[in-house]
Amino acid sequence: MADTVDRRSFIRVVATTTGALAVGVLSASDVARAGSRHASSAALSAFIEIDTDGRVSIFAKNPEIGTGVKTSLPMLIAEELDVDWRMVRVVQADFASKYGDQFTGGSTAIWDNFLPLRQAGAAARYMLVAAAATRWQVDASDCTTASGVVIHAASQRRLAYGDIAGDAARLTAPPTELKLKDPSAFRIIGKRVPVVDAHEIITGRAHYGLDASVPNMLIACIARAPFGSKVVSFDATAARAVQGVVRVVQVTSTGDASAQAEGVAVLASTTWAAMKGRNALRVTWSPAPDDASSATLERRFREALAGTGTVIRNDGDVDNALTSAAKVVEAVYELPFLAHVPMEPMHYLADVRADRAEVWGSTQVPGNVARRVASIAGIKPSAVTVHMDRMGGGFGRRLADDYACEAAFLSKAAGCPVKVVWTREDDVQHDFYRPAGHHRIRAGLSSNGRVTAWAQHLANTSRYAFAQNGRPPENSELYPQDFPVGCVPNARLEYSSVATSIRIGAWRSTLHSANAFAVESFIDELAHAAQRDPVQFRLELLGDARAMPYADHGGPTFDTGRLAAVITDAAQRSGWPGKKTAGRALGFASHFTFGTYVALVADVSVTRGMIKVHRVTASVDCGTVVNALGAEAQVQSGIMEGLSSALFGEILVDAGIVRQHNFNDYRLLRIDEAPAIDIRLIKSTSEPRGLGEPAVPPVAPALANAIYAIAGKRIRRLPLQKNLAL
Amino acid sequence: MATLLHVNGKRHSVDVPADTPLLWVLRETLGLTGTKFGCGIAQCGACTVHLNGVATRACVTPIAAVGTAAVTTIEGLSPNGAHPVQQAWIAEDVAQCGYCQAGQVMSASALLARTPQPTDAEIDTAMRGNLCRCGTYVRIRAAIHRAAQAKHG
Repeated sequence: MADTVDRRSFIRVVATTTGALAVGVLSASDVARAGSRHASSAALSAFIEIDTDGRVSIFAKNPEIGTGVKTSLPMLIAEELDVDWRMVRVVQADFASKYGDQFTGGSTAIWDNFLPLRQAGAAARYMLVAAAATRWQVDASDCTTASGVVIHAASQRRLAYGDIAGDAARLTAPPTELKLKDPSAFRIIGKRVPVVDAHEIITGRAHYGLDASVPNMLIACIARAPFGSKVVSFDATAARAVQGVVRVVQVTSTGDASAQAEGVAVLASTTWAAMKGRNALRVTWSPAPDDASSATLERRFREALAGTGTVIRNDGDVDNALTSAAKVVEAVYELPFLAHVPMEPMHYLADVRADRAEVWGSTQVPGNVARRVASIAGIKPSAVTVHMDRMGGGFGRRLADDYACEAAFLSKAAGCPVKVVWTREDDVQHDFYRPAGHHRIRAGLSSNGRVTAWAQHLANTSRYAFAQNGRPPENSELYPQDFPVGCVPNARLEYSSVATSIRIGAWRSTLHSANAFAVESFIDELAHAAQRDPVQFRLELLGDARAMPYADHGGPTFDTGRLAAVITDAAQRSGWPGKKTAGRALGFASHFTFGTYVALVADVSVTRGMIKVHRVTASVDCGTVVNALGAEAQVQSGIMEGLSSALFGEILVDAGIVRQHNFNDYRLLRIDEAPAIDIRLIKSTSEPRGLGEPAVPPVAPALANAIYAIAGKRIRRLPLQKNLAL
Repeated sequence: MATLLHVNGKRHSVDVPADTPLLWVLRETLGLTGTKFGCGIAQCGACTVHLNGVATRACVTPIAAVGTAAVTTIEGLSPNGAHPVQQAWIAEDVAQCGYCQAGQVMSASALLARTPQPTDAEIDTAMRGNLCRCGTYVRIRAAIHRAAQAKHG
């Protein structure tokens, strides 16, 4: 979920880390046994330890929110280390600089670590080979490896890694980056590898952030202010009377809207007591500003679209092209706020002391947490120990660290460890939502059905504007090289930022999920206006296969041929355009984001006003696939996410207070609503790209396009189920 | 006031307010953290346990209402994950974040105990109370069919 600027700095950090890894892995002095976990094992790097019995421990560096990185990143190391996967035990790394960047977001894990972690594995293998060669007094280049054994074929000698790991850990670095395996030699990459924690998960032994517990901790539940409001006064008499409640603390905001919210916290010996105490608080809040209401914001979106916005791309002469077009089509698409609602509610445990702090819980950004906690505690970030466990989902919610700030604030105030626990209502009502906004698109068609002009204007609540990070607000919202711009001779993109006090954040696939609904629905409208098949229409719009520059996250190029290939594949496998039957039809959409190309066909019916999705056919080109089992899971997950939000997702706010509460009125897709899913991952040896998010954006427009084919009704406002009925 | 509970074949005496949900007693008093908190209002199923073999949402079951019922949590479903549903969950690689899966496994095992060969419609009815935010539903369905076959065969 990084943006252009984040992305560039991230690459720099990774590049630095790559060098550091190679040196770190191979420097003799400090790789010593002191750093290893067992007297009988040798640490070959921050990532690898090998026991004398040959068991290999690989440290998983990134936070695991459910995208499978705890499995797939160690696979990269194991591949080049040349061990069997069954010899590997994966250990979750805590937050530490020796692991380089530790972050889960932006669909970056595989893509950014594909080469560095393979280099780490190859470097350790190099050291093991060198150690064996030294012991045998042979040339290292005459040795090979297989399944955790160094082999000198000429003398038919073999040494298991476990027998030479201690020697290897004392050796010096290879001078340069090592040659990595040719993809044809992969034995782990590309295979179907189950989640490493599967057994722990299904026996209830997997440890999640919310499970963290330390002696003498208090549990805190917080009554948080409506958006834009502050505490005027509060009466905690009834709260203090609840059995188990220990104290009540006012939480003050620093003015940084991304940190702890203004509120009143009840600290108790148990979670139930903290919840009851919180519910017994009587708090008077100051009135919310008018930019904390959905109705006001909707009016401002409309007002903004009636004027002009910041021009972020302007090709050719759009106005002239529209005037001379044979046909002009125009539509407005309306997107609601969306909540993340990961299954594990927000929580965080902090033990802040005078000179150090120790923290536990679920976060996608342990580095940010360390900095924030340090700032609140008045200590250096290096004095903060951040523990990482599995997380019950993230979807971008845990890119914000407001709840960690709350825990640190309260631990400091109470002088003891404090675990903040959010209820589901807290989560639904105090999220950092996907921006709400309106798109207006106007396009010109020539007499032969070609798109000659494309004018798009988005007005929404930018997450950059909300974060007040000094970056142009449009950069997080409207991407100037997204299809079809670049494929239309005259194109203009405009953006209008509408300020809000409602908290805004990054939601799985960022604004791509909203923008693709507008763009891919509108392309369908254009195809129908031109009386063309929507798939053929897209292929013609894409034109000849070519790589176009793509400076945003997911670049550096956008290959029209790869998008056309997934479009063609999904259409063929789904039986597009399908048979016409009453109440049932196929809908098509595609999108490029995070470097990955996705095309979807949704088989949808509408019966008595109820939308039913029967099957989704997906074609995905994400480059090299590391874990085929995990990759399919990510695509399934993205499709289900897209369905859930497209059919039901909507957060509405009145005077700073969210109207929805819990899963009863913020609906998620349930198993009886889940379609069959048919996925093809295109075989590719291109560098891997992102997969946690790219399947989400095309889902909503594929459904809307199917509904249009069924009912002739174009739904231009999400969520679909509600707006079909209206 | 002390309440006597039967959990996973063991007796426990717990001293908590009578309105405390079973969920928090399991997690905080007994340290059985495999049962998860998701919504607190019986809308997501992450807290599903068995009461005398019946799938029950622990988040809305006050401790006073448990009585002498035998409580089974994910930790007590089988020795070391040997239950056919647990094995099927591994074979189908169901889990993504994994947070809801203990509740899914408890609902699925209760379903198979009373309906050994469930149809898709019966799976839908029994499992629609268990949300999965990662959207693992396709694999959950496959895992339940796999477990049904394993029990049958």
